[in-house]
Amino acid sequence: MSQQNGTKSGVSAMKVVGQPTPRIDAGERVSGRATYTRDVYLDGMLYAQMLRSPHPHARIKSIDLSKARALPGVKAIVTHENCNVVWGAGSIAGGVQYSDDIKKITTQRRYAFNNPVRYVGEPIAAVAAVDRHVAEEAARLIVVEYEVLPFVLDQEEALKADAVKIWPEGNISPDARNQFQPVVQKRGNIEDGFKSADRVFEARYSTVMCHNAQMEPRSCVAHWEGDKLTVYTPTGGIANCHHDLARDLGIPDEKVRVICHYMGGNFGNKNQNQDADLITAVLAKEAGAPVKLEFSRKEDFIGMHGRWPTVQYYKVGVKNDGTLTAIQLRTVSNMGPYRKNNGGVSGIELYDCEHTESTLFPMYTNRTTAANFRGPNDPQGYYPIQSHMDDIAYAMKMDPVDFVMKNMTKPNARTQFTNYTLDECIRRGAELFEWKKRWKPVPGSGPGPMKRGAGVAFMSFRAGVGSSSAVVTVDAKEQYTVYVGVTDVGPGAKTTMNIIAAEELGVPLSRVNVVWGDTDTCPYSVGESGSRTTTMTGEAVVAAARDLKKQLAEKGLPTGTAILKASATPQPRIQGKIRNCFGANFAEVEVDTELGTVKVLKFVAVHESGRIMNPLTAASQVKGGVAMGIGMALHENMIYDQRTGIPVVTGYYFDRVVTHLDAPDVEVEFIEADDGYGPYGAKGIGESGMITTPAAISNAIFNAIGRRIKDLPMTRDKILGALA
Amino acid sequence: MKTFANSNAKSLQDATRRSQQARGAGQHVAFAGGGSDLLALIKDRVISPDVVVNLKTITNLNQVSRSAAGVTIGGQITLDALSRNETIRKDYAVLAEAAGSVATPQIRNVGTIAGNVCQRPWCWYYRNGFPCYKAGGNQCFSFAGENQFHAIFGGGPSYIVHPSDTAPALVALGATFRIVGPGGERRVPAAEFFVLPRQNASNENVLADDEVLASIDLPATTAGSRGHYMKVLDREAWTHAVVSAAVVLEMEGDLCRAAHVVLGGVAPIPWHLPDVEKMLSGQRITEELAARAAETAVSGARALSKNAYKIPMTRGVVRRALLHVAQVA
Repeated sequence: MSQQNGTKSGVSAMKVVGQPTPRIDAGERVSGRATYTRDVYLDGMLYAQMLRSPHPHARIKSIDLSKARALPGVKAIVTHENCNVVWGAGSIAGGVQYSDDIKKITTQRRYAFNNPVRYVGEPIAAVAAVDRHVAEEAARLIVVEYEVLPFVLDQEEALKADAVKIWPEGNISPDARNQFQPVVQKRGNIEDGFKSADRVFEARYSTVMCHNAQMEPRSCVAHWEGDKLTVYTPTGGIANCHHDLARDLGIPDEKVRVICHYMGGNFGNKNQNQDADLITAVLAKEAGAPVKLEFSRKEDFIGMHGRWPTVQYYKVGVKNDGTLTAIQLRTVSNMGPYRKNNGGVSGIELYDCEHTESTLFPMYTNRTTAANFRGPNDPQGYYPIQSHMDDIAYAMKMDPVDFVMKNMTKPNARTQFTNYTLDECIRRGAELFEWKKRWKPVPGSGPGPMKRGAGVAFMSFRAGVGSSSAVVTVDAKEQYTVYVGVTDVGPGAKTTMNIIAAEELGVPLSRVNVVWGDTDTCPYSVGESGSRTTTMTGEAVVAAARDLKKQLAEKGLPTGTAILKASATPQPRIQGKIRNCFGANFAEVEVDTELGTVKVLKFVAVHESGRIMNPLTAASQVKGGVAMGIGMALHENMIYDQRTGIPVVTGYYFDRVVTHLDAPDVEVEFIEADDGYGPYGAKGIGESGMITTPAAISNAIFNAIGRRIKDLPMTRDKILGALA
Repeated sequence: MKTFANSNAKSLQDATRRSQQARGAGQHVAFAGGGSDLLALIKDRVISPDVVVNLKTITNLNQVSRSAAGVTIGGQITLDALSRNETIRKDYAVLAEAAGSVATPQIRNVGTIAGNVCQRPWCWYYRNGFPCYKAGGNQCFSFAGENQFHAIFGGGPSYIVHPSDTAPALVALGATFRIVGPGGERRVPAAEFFVLPRQNASNENVLADDEVLASIDLPATTAGSRGHYMKVLDREAWTHAVVSAAVVLEMEGDLCRAAHVVLGGVAPIPWHLPDVEKMLSGQRITEELAARAAETAVSGARALSKNAYKIPMTRGVVRRALLHVAQVA
């Protein structure tokens, strides 16, 4: 079934691609020379401070700015009363951005400043002043009179008929047709599926909000020169941010410049433009001076977004031979008061099952907004379904690996892949991990009190092709320059583009400069989300380099100060097939049944992401993803006080993101393939390690203690509670 | 943060004088050792002092010195230096281990023993600015709220847990705290330094205004004295103890002559277990005795809505810490 066998055997060696290559900006980053947004200082620059809502739901009756304005050094204050900018990327309708067409249909809007405010931490006002301390003091001098409204935090509570209404239309967020209905997806006939089942298994799972917790909190510097706006901001996509800013501010695209030379992490938290960008731009205009806004860690936690919490009800039909006949899912997602992403959960598509039905309720609540986070729909989808399937495997007296191999998605009449290696990932992973040795046929059968167990989980993630642009030039000294609109959110996009260009041009890395991170100098790049940049922007680099080589062959090297230049915007398409990454994660844990602690002893991750451009950064993506997945599995939870609606987990300490000591030594192996798409067959890798990990840990804990924890995170209290 | 004035103290007496003067002028005062926690509290506006009296400028307060009666530890020694000190490692292992388990290497490099003992609670309500008892208010939000990490012993009206790792070790070692204030100095046994919320809901210890924890005296150890600090965290590093135990056993052969068992992470003060100590003294520590001691340790525990797991966890910590020190396999 596999199209390739064994590591690396599927692809032929290349000169630059596939060689372990250190990041081209590593020196700048570790020596402190890299200029992050917070390191930008402009002449006459003012500092901004936000005032945020202390209430989860309140109508602003009045805002008295007189005392704040009277403070010496205060230059501008904006609130909902003098700023009515719509933050287009701050909310969507059913997964669709608020384009002009969608705006004609839909009714709900998210402004930079909203009234009523709908969560603790929602912006009320922003002050620009001569220094940070004056700005902070001024924000404290703003007097706001609120009409405090009742609130709802829990998504299932929000669904009840008598729940507090956060929007007039109710608490189910609308789709792009402005319909306030659950989202239903069906395949086959679910009733037929259950009729043909020998046994039916039901379970309820819940997942919580985890924050992206990237190192660099939000910040922005905005500067108007006449009617041209320059924004320095940490964004994963300068082109998207640029277009969003122009649209939201009502100015032409060419009047906006976005610069991001270095950024400190993203994990889905810095796509598009942010309210911080819009607010800083408006403040700078109002003040007539450049303005810098810097969020504190707490503001970044409560004011931005995290992963959407979910409650998932599964009902699964299975035949006595272990064949799945029906999968039914009802999901209630907690989107906060604005729907910034679709709220769905993945997982059903991992299985080859004829009859499936999924119903999604994306609910408004008075919590921090939920949106993209590394595999937006995935780890919180994989954990429930792969835990439930694991339980079914044991109930059917099957080895979970055999159960997965039997029921996982495969090429068939319904589904065709550009290439397929899921079976190989699982087989190779089981071999490397020594599954038969570590897995306990009888869960919880270790002698204790330290009980070990092994678990498996698998993934497939879209690796679609799409359009980006690149420009490649060469000068008289045969020095090449690649212009790409990447910023490098962490996976090493600058280095990857350097590698791809050098390979295609047939020159060493040192002959190629990379210019990135500035919309005035770089063409469109897709934006670093969805593990797309290597595939899409990389393909544009290949096309531009090919064109330049052709020009060189025809015209020869330029002379003097002349350059040769090639641009490319390829429009790749795949007809009738699905292009996916595949992977399998295997975990061995040791549960201390007296103390409730869980230690991850061994972790093996085997992934196919097409051809690997740079094994150093690719392996780091998987390792970092696994560490993040362990945090989600065992620790992280943005807890709210239920009586006041105020979040109490507001930073790294209480959030319990994992430390170096918590992260195991992850064995990463790649199965390489070239399916003929993307640059030399490259696919994405950013999400693969993360999304597969909570389910693998859950299954390993079950194997160790014989009890299933059905609510994330699997903290000490839940382990001890399950064992009590 | 609110702007504050830094005031470098030349001596302990000078520190109390500076504090007194500032308070006399109607200003709020805070003492700073390493300042790692203080600065965070100020930044988050949990506290807003006008004047910060800097104790780091006082010389000779960061040493461990031997005396006939035992050792004296200067209050401004860093947790890292304390955890690496040869004398402490050899004779007071429980304290070296406790100091070495605090937070992160970065914090241990600046945080001091006095600061660790006197640090404010890490309850998420207090740290997030809720108007609770610890912030001068009149309620404890954890009681009917999110109390996963709160007290199972000695709670009410506040249910915070004392955050210090070194405090249980110091109580177990029978330390004496030297306190310097405007009226001169006084000595307080470690066990009496910490106060329950029912005695004082807003402060965790007996320090009065303008008073500073100057140094700590440890009595000389006996030949068979052995100790261990066992800490369960919520992850492998950088959390306070969910449950911890400081155990010191004075052994004579395989007999336990006297036992000192103090818990951390479970009560608003280091939680001393006299009943456990009584049942261990004069006994041979066996698996069976350790299990009974662990049962006795939790006999007075009372769980809140979300922290019942701390009871079996405490049982496990006490049992294992005892067996570890007694070197029972």
